[in-house]
Amino acid sequence: MMKHEISALMDGELFEDEAEIMFDQLKQDPDAHREWAVYHLIGDVLRQPEYVHRDISTGVRERLLNEPTVLAPRSHAIKQKARVFALSAAASVLAVGVVAWMSLQISPEAAPQMAMQQPDIRPVNLQIQPKSNDYLMAHQEFSPSNDMNGGASYMRTVTYNPGEKSQ
Amino acid sequence: MRVWAGFCGLLLAANVCAAEGNARFDWLKIVAFAGHQTDYSGVFVYQYGNHVETSRITHVVETDSEYEKLESLDGPKREIIRHHGQVWCYKNHKMVQVDSHQGQVRFPLLLTDQLSALSENYRVREAGIERVAGYDTQVVLFQPKDNLRYTHMIWVHTDSGLLLKSAVLNDKMKIVEQYAFTQLKIGSGVDRSWIASSATTASLGTGKAKSASNKVAAPVNSGWVVDALPSGFKKTMEVVRPMQGKHAPVTQLVFSDGLSAISVFIEPADGDEDDVEGLSSRGAVNLYQKVVDKHLFNVVGEVPPKAVMQVLDSVRYNGK
Repeated sequence: MMKHEISALMDGELFEDEAEIMFDQLKQDPDAHREWAVYHLIGDVLRQPEYVHRDISTGVRERLLNEPTVLAPRSHAIKQKARVFALSAAASVLAVGVVAWMSLQISPEAAPQMAMQQPDIRPVNLQIQPKSNDYLMAHQEFSPSNDMNGGASYMRTVTYNPGEKSQ
Repeated sequence: MRVWAGFCGLLLAANVCAAEGNARFDWLKIVAFAGHQTDYSGVFVYQYGNHVETSRITHVVETDSEYEKLESLDGPKREIIRHHGQVWCYKNHKMVQVDSHQGQVRFPLLLTDQLSALSENYRVREAGIERVAGYDTQVVLFQPKDNLRYTHMIWVHTDSGLLLKSAVLNDKMKIVEQYAFTQLKIGSGVDRSWIASSATTASLGTGKAKSASNKVAAPVNSGWVVDALPSGFKKTMEVVRPMQGKHAPVTQLVFSDGLSAISVFIEPADGDEDDVEGLSSRGAVNLYQKVVDKHLFNVVGEVPPKAVMQVLDSVRYNGK
């Protein structure tokens, strides 16, 4: 299934040669390309819900009201058209919801696996690299958190990731 | 004991005026005072995301100067010793002194103007009594009035004033990171043999010798300014400091709103920073890095990503 492969590509689960083939397909197949864009939109919505958390129903209703009612006798037909539109919109919202729910379901297990398989791909929520520890240490010196929990927050500056060699 | 009596007085005074407006902010003073003046030793857990780490902290007060030892109990051995504003770090089988510019212990730290800045930017409320590590604690909640800082929750031991647990929460009230003691010993009986132990003295001694030869940075006016600081953040420090692995000294500006701080590091870019640009995080600390006009900027703080990005993008050189 194309959709499944696109999703795998986005999650960084494909090997390099498989990914190359997918990219070629995406360039050629407009349907696949659209799918790719939708998946990214979903991803953006999931990551930054604060920017899209708004009720668009009023906007949609206003736009529908502004549709020119050309002929009074045909208003029935127009209403029907609007209902069809509303239904298909509801269906796609539902689809987005299902995909969102699915990716929420799989993400916790998928994340560590992905990190192990493809260390080159940067996860969305990037961890501070050990080479930046000196900045953290220099910052910690002047942080009010020292007064709160003594030196406990210094642990941040020397924290380690299991699986990563101590530097 | 003397310290205890003084402290209990403070605690009592704080309780008496607790009914007044900003009195809840006094919990911060209590915590800071107790944290500096009490002998304690315990094991705490530090957690963020999937990361959980256990460490031991030992803090003793000797004739007005503090010694503090932090040891990792999980993973590779790491140790941090702090004494009189100096920091030593044990990593990779050796003890090295961290370039430190604090000079001396700043105390008392929560200045009056910082407290007023706090009340302008956080809503504070007491959120009940809870047990932590077997002790009764007062829970205090600091909720920010904007989205440029995190929510802080602290659990304060009602008898000693020590902070036994703290949590940083994001705008969806999800925990970003937390510290919590699982075992704690307060007052007499805390091990202080390590202060005099030969290894520590030797390393502290050489450390001191080394620090004397180090160029210690003095506060400067570098000419760098931040135009879009989140409200309530005041500049607390501006230094030019040498940093390990850097060819040129690094300018550091520190801003604080009393609960969290933001550091801006500025240095000449040496061309191989292509891979560092962007946002990264470790618990409540966010780091945003960017090269602009041949300068490498690093902004670090216990604030949301939005805040470090806003700060970096508004740094400007205002010098001659």
